Amino acid sequence: MVDLKFVIGDPRVCTGCMICVNVCSMRYFKVISPERSRVRAVRIEPGLDFTLFCRNCEDAPCIDACPEEALSRTSKGVVIVNNKKCTGCGSCVEACPYDAIRINPDTEKAIKCIQCDECIKRCPVDAIWMTTMRELEERDPDGEIWALHEEHSEELYSKEDLQ
Amino acid sequence: MIHGVGGKVIWVDLTKREIEKMPIEKKIVEKYLLGAGYLSKVLFDSIPVGIDPLSPKNVLGFATGLLTASMFPQSSRHVVAALSPLTDVWGESHAAGFWGPELKLAGYDAIFFTGASRNPVYLNINDSTVELLSADDVWGRDVFETDDILRERHGKKARLIYIGQAGENLVRFAAVMNDRDRASARSGLGAVMGSKKLKAICVRGTGKIEVADPKKYMDTMDEFYRRMLANPFTPGRAKYGTTNLVEMMQHIGRLPSYNMRQGVFEGYEKISGETITEKYLVKPRSDWCCLQRCARYTTVKDGPYKYVGGSPEFETQSSLGSRCGNDNLESVLFGHHLANQYGMDTISLGGTISWAMEAWDEGLLTADDTDGIDLSWGNHESIVKLIKMIAFREGFGDVLAEGSARAAEKIGRGTEKFVMTVKKQEIAGQEPRAQKSMGLAAVTAARGADHLYAFPVLDEAGFDDEIRERFGEEYLPEMAERLNPKYKGIMVKECEDFMVVVESLGLCKYGTQIPPEFYYEDVALALKVHNGLEFTRADLQIIGERIVNLNRLFNAKRGVTRADDNLPDRLTKEGAPLGPSKGEVVELDQMLDEYYMKRGWDNETGIPYASTLKRLGLVEEASGMEIPDE
Repeated sequence: MVDLKFVIGDPRVCTGCMICVNVCSMRYFKVISPERSRVRAVRIEPGLDFTLFCRNCEDAPCIDACPEEALSRTSKGVVIVNNKKCTGCGSCVEACPYDAIRINPDTEKAIKCIQCDECIKRCPVDAIWMTTMRELEERDPDGEIWALHEEHSEELYSKEDLQ
Repeated sequence: MIHGVGGKVIWVDLTKREIEKMPIEKKIVEKYLLGAGYLSKVLFDSIPVGIDPLSPKNVLGFATGLLTASMFPQSSRHVVAALSPLTDVWGESHAAGFWGPELKLAGYDAIFFTGASRNPVYLNINDSTVELLSADDVWGRDVFETDDILRERHGKKARLIYIGQAGENLVRFAAVMNDRDRASARSGLGAVMGSKKLKAICVRGTGKIEVADPKKYMDTMDEFYRRMLANPFTPGRAKYGTTNLVEMMQHIGRLPSYNMRQGVFEGYEKISGETITEKYLVKPRSDWCCLQRCARYTTVKDGPYKYVGGSPEFETQSSLGSRCGNDNLESVLFGHHLANQYGMDTISLGGTISWAMEAWDEGLLTADDTDGIDLSWGNHESIVKLIKMIAFREGFGDVLAEGSARAAEKIGRGTEKFVMTVKKQEIAGQEPRAQKSMGLAAVTAARGADHLYAFPVLDEAGFDDEIRERFGEEYLPEMAERLNPKYKGIMVKECEDFMVVVESLGLCKYGTQIPPEFYYEDVALALKVHNGLEFTRADLQIIGERIVNLNRLFNAKRGVTRADDNLPDRLTKEGAPLGPSKGEVVELDQMLDEYYMKRGWDNETGIPYASTLKRLGLVEEASGMEIPDE
């Protein structure tokens, strides 16, 4: 099996400019709109700026949750949404443990990061990069980045807007 | 249709509790853009002459610029304006953050408040829902507490503007704060919010901004990003923010020290950017689409000045540091944090405390006046104590809460001599005897002493190429010489015109003025791809001129003349006592003559000539005024 790729951000390095968020909505929907972006930026004091993307989970609960079989994994390991099948029911949104899928209110289809690299290219401080579990372990051997995500998981993955 | 904007303006009558949504007025946008320009026109028309700025008759405006929430580098900014309770003339202030973009995403470009509420309220905006809610449970709370409570109530994604206790207590230099530690600090507009019993504006916007030319958009922005990141100033800005200006200004004798007695401070290294970066910096921070990341997040880990939060910029290092003869950096950092917490302008705060310190040093103020507080130069414990006393108007703090000009008027005894203000607003951290253009800019700025209205920095750091491009070869070398008054009237005029355009677009002066990477042609391109508006450089220059002239008319109607465009005698008559600019004075009259001539204003009254008003389409606005003939 291929090493599953995903984008990760270091909340200690990110300055919170949201260029990644805006590039994403502009790239895919031709608008500036954090609500229509596949990246979320969350600032948590003291001094942390999280950028949150699809984690590309090996067990991918979103795929199983979809009643229309609209979500699938490509041969390259990317979980994608088939817009023709997606009814915008929100089952995948609920199933995602990381609040990394949302429904675009205009198209009423599920949207998620597909590891396209457009945001990474433009990050002015190199706070986000494409990684795999293996690469991340090498780069962050003490697991500090995951630990920070874990410590603030309640706020990061609260799905505030669904409540 | 104009792309890239919310398209709506909210009017709130706080007395009657009525809320009305109106479309933005395109005719105003054509003549004044949005942001500062839009406010200049609407408030010119709606604030009566002769009112008390803290009465319900004052009108308080908030606006975003045409490019706020675009992807242009550093495009986060919003503007606040009203009649100023500090200067009694035009009051305007700006801040970065995320509040402005959020307002746009909710579908609005500006908000105006008239009247005053009987009980504390806040405005809550959630997309199309706009409602006034009781602020009883946050009134009396500081900025951070208010942020916590209202974001708990309205969701963590909400963005807020608010006042702290200083605004509630009508401190005349109270700031309007946003996103915890961002400040629209100058002009005392926090007190206007306080007088209206308006605690906060909470915004949540889930909308979208549709740009005019999506095909060309990213390519255009990518090129702007490339240029911004390649600019030689960017790495230093990212590393130090503005904090290392302490070292740079000390080097040229422009670091206000001991209440502007002098422009050098022997303790400068202890309050320097290098020291902050080495010992207290947690990380640099950005606001919306900011590539320069000059904001700092810092912490003092132990001791009486323990805190974690936003860091001072150069202005506070100067105002609470060198200006008060204070080389205790932790007290400067903590004092800045307190000023954010209570919501105060640190420039006027330090300027007022340093006035009291000099009066103490001269024996004109004693412990009988100060509730026993020792005001010796550099007494950092007293400085920190006074910050709280001012915010809560306790004891001597109540006197200082009026600002140095009014405090001196009350105390008398010759303390007036040490008031370092223009139009009652404290002069910022630019000792003008070491940079003459800054002296001129401080007196011509519509909001009283101010470095940012013109932000004339082209003579500061060797921008000869920009001077050549913007003005022409014939102005070199004099215009680029800091100590030479020649051509500074021309330079300040041009800088003011461009800077008010920048404030009308919601952009930052970092990137447009220092470094001067983006100029009229660049913002015109951004206006085209983002808003679908076609403006030439000449169009935008005229708009800038028009805004400056309208600000001038606003003040002239309230009695401002050339006599008010004046610096304290210390700066124009007493030579700098030591340092690299020793012996220098500000040759203000010479520069003002040149400035008025270039502006087309009467040399004695400072009122625009009839021909100037006609050229700028401001004849109607000047009706009822005595207009001079050339």
